[in-house]
Amino acid sequence: MTDPWIVTLGLCAGTFSARLGGILLGQRLPTGGAWARALNALPGTLIVALVAGQLFQGGLNEWIAGALAAAVAFTTRSLVLTMAVGIATVYVLRTYT
Amino acid sequence: MTPAMEFRSGLREIMPLAMGVVIYGLAFGVLAAQAMMGGLETGAMGTLVFAGAAQIVAVERLVAGAGSVAALVAGIALNLRLILVTASIRDFFVGRPWWQVALGAHFSTDENWAMTVAARKAGRDVGYWHLVGGGAGLFTAWVGATVAGVLFASAIPEPRALGIDFAFTAAFILIARTLWQGHRDLAPWGTSVAVVAIALWSRMLDPSWALILGGVAGAAVAGIAGDD
Repeated sequence: MTDPWIVTLGLCAGTFSARLGGILLGQRLPTGGAWARALNALPGTLIVALVAGQLFQGGLNEWIAGALAAAVAFTTRSLVLTMAVGIATVYVLRTYT
Repeated sequence: MTPAMEFRSGLREIMPLAMGVVIYGLAFGVLAAQAMMGGLETGAMGTLVFAGAAQIVAVERLVAGAGSVAALVAGIALNLRLILVTASIRDFFVGRPWWQVALGAHFSTDENWAMTVAARKAGRDVGYWHLVGGGAGLFTAWVGATVAGVLFASAIPEPRALGIDFAFTAAFILIARTLWQGHRDLAPWGTSVAVVAIALWSRMLDPSWALILGGVAGAAVAGIAGDD
């Protein structure tokens, strides 16, 4: 078997296990108290960690574009506008600085 | 809402993000061509794995000559966060037949998960079929674009040069805005950012582990310090 097929089958097993495992784990945790509060907060904290990781791995250009995108997100709440401003800003900064 | 209506609204609302996925998919196809993969192998990987970032990291390792074991470990480490993703929407799967659980699990990605969770936080009565509708849109976009990318690799420009790699960062910033529920999120979110910053700056963890640790640390603060 070639490397791409080994990686495909291995990633398929690992990824599906993670997805299914989360559902099974989540359903075994209590529905009230600290565990429930933590699980309810998880989407927000995970998204914020994702954004922080991407910005910390970038540089000043990414931080400026991220700040402008955040400003657009807060004022317009439009997904398309936020993506457009973020991409345009990072493109201009990378091209002209 | 009926399941069909929910499915369609999920499919419709994922379209801006699916456009971003198409561009990423084309870029992945170019990478797959460098790993000597063909249309069949690329399509099989997209269908069976359906996790963009992990596929990119794993195939990039293959291209770098790291071997299949190192490529697998890198990809799976990045996907451990999916445990947290599906655990946070455990309610969607209660009482469903096994094939719906399997379908919803396979279709759970960062993008449609965040979209459906944000819609619920905004007070909308959506759940499982909204997630699956968004997942179906992303799946079609991802498999189609990655196969097109590998077949037409020589004609595709580098996405970083166009700033398009920033599309998902910007999208997640908007989704974070939608999930924000006021000052009680301040301590958990601040903890997440601080943990990621420390883990990356000190070089103690690579980005995929820093992300998981940051998300868990923030949720733990909400669980321990919060009140209902």
